[in-house]
Amino acid sequence: MTTMSVNVHHVTRVEGHGNIVVDARNGDIKECRFEVVEAPRFFEAFVRGRPYTELNHITSRICGICAVGHSTTSAMATEKALGVELTDQAQLLRKLNFHGEIIDSHVLHAYYLVAPDFFGAGSVIPLIDVNREAVERALRIKKLSGDLCAMIGGRHTHPCALVVGGFTHTPTEDELRAMRERLVAAREDMDASVELFSSLDWPQFERETEYISLTKDDEYAFVGGRIKSSDGFEYPVEDYKKVTNEEMVSFSTAKWTRHNRESYMVGALARFNNNFDQLHPKAKDAAARLGMEPIVTNPFLNTGAQVVEMVHCVEDSIKIIDELLERGVNPEDPAEAEVKAGEGVDSCDVPRGILFHHYAYDDRGFCTDANCIIPTNQNMANLNHDMQELVPQIIDRPQDEVRLTLEMLVRAYDPCISCSTHVLTVEFV
Amino acid sequence: MNRRRDVLVLGLGNPLRGDDGVGPRVIAELEDHGLPEGIETLDAGTGGLDLLHVMEDHERIVIVDAAEIGKESGQFVRFTPDEVLLVESGGRFSLHHAGLAEILALTRALNRPLPPVVMFGVQPEDIGWGQGLSPKVEAGLPTLIDAVLAEITQ
Repeated sequence: MTTMSVNVHHVTRVEGHGNIVVDARNGDIKECRFEVVEAPRFFEAFVRGRPYTELNHITSRICGICAVGHSTTSAMATEKALGVELTDQAQLLRKLNFHGEIIDSHVLHAYYLVAPDFFGAGSVIPLIDVNREAVERALRIKKLSGDLCAMIGGRHTHPCALVVGGFTHTPTEDELRAMRERLVAAREDMDASVELFSSLDWPQFERETEYISLTKDDEYAFVGGRIKSSDGFEYPVEDYKKVTNEEMVSFSTAKWTRHNRESYMVGALARFNNNFDQLHPKAKDAAARLGMEPIVTNPFLNTGAQVVEMVHCVEDSIKIIDELLERGVNPEDPAEAEVKAGEGVDSCDVPRGILFHHYAYDDRGFCTDANCIIPTNQNMANLNHDMQELVPQIIDRPQDEVRLTLEMLVRAYDPCISCSTHVLTVEFV
Repeated sequence: MNRRRDVLVLGLGNPLRGDDGVGPRVIAELEDHGLPEGIETLDAGTGGLDLLHVMEDHERIVIVDAAEIGKESGQFVRFTPDEVLLVESGGRFSLHHAGLAEILALTRALNRPLPPVVMFGVQPEDIGWGQGLSPKVEAGLPTLIDAVLAEITQ
């Protein structure tokens, strides 16, 4: 009989620091978990005591990947608290900006963090030797999505033009037309992406779980909506705590969440499973080519769902630009906020899943209390339950293969455990 | 849209992590100061791979970033990427919030040359969670900004 101990410290190609621990003797699994070792972010401490105009800019710095997601959700929660109504144009621009970030995040995850595993490459650098065209294509898509975000948010990454009440800057119709042309041209790269990811040999693993996302009556939900569970529940976003039920666990600094089962999953696969009917027809075609039909219960296919969403977001961005041009784009100031005491909750389904921001303000518009629940925390319990079910199925395989499969599982969730500092260490030569 | 513009000054780092915010802070100071024509500034925060495309669109790049340079807190060193080995903290390769070291490795591997880059690496005192620079890094700002201005107006 074998004794196996798999310890993967600081799993690479995930955001932040997380460790995989597996301890099995004689086929008896003693320990099997994913632990988070990053210090918690003390998010609330940053925003308490700050004026309402600053919160979305502060929260956009939590993460360099979900900067638009945090900024948008934060502004929406503040707008609820202060009773601010956006114009139709501002709402369309928010959605368009958000699509840019979804594409931006998904293309990086799918191509640069996940694809190397399937080509036997340790990272994207050796992947260049194996499939240079894929690496170049990912960069092209990344440039497009980054430029889309900058056109609306006013800056790459941290959107300075996105404020409570709308935007301080409006793209011109010429800029929108030029972007539309580039999005149309990107269909070819989307098609090649679907082709590439359809050809991958995904690990076979199924586990039924609860999927939680936003939902809307009239569109595939990313920005606002109601909370939907695949187990048949729906809640207004104000009731988010009924869903998240956060609890501390001893070995992880991330709080765990549970709703109707022992765990639930959020992210692209949850959205895909809950809102499949509202995907653009081309995205549904992509799903068919990827062999995905809801309900998909293989968590490794979260990456497949991301590819489907990239196709959807390119098509929906073209549609939104058409709508903006048809209405006529007018420079407009952000809607005025009436400064008053109030409380507001709102939610967006950011690249990694459903995100909640919740604020209370005093009568001068200063934040007195805040809460933020990020998608990665909501996925931690589900990832651990996946591991506990997967490990007995693969425990007889060589240790390296067990290790790689577990790393791939962690990466499939696209976890973002911390926004790191990126301080460089410089060695002079 | 793709015309190459003159000098780009990039401030990198997270202003929610103490002295890691020195790059964005320098950008804010330069913008307040006012800059000659042809010089663009960008607070790129923790933008990662976005930097690659931003950098490609310019003739010359000047970067201000917190860096472990083995000096007193607040001191800085000017260098070019060719003069040093850049190691991302933790040594991990996560392109989602890729740092400069990773972008340079990627562009070299793709044989996709970047415009000339000059860096000002600033020794941090504290990069724990919290806003604002430490007194030592704050005190070093005027000299740092003078050096960056001299570099971009040369």
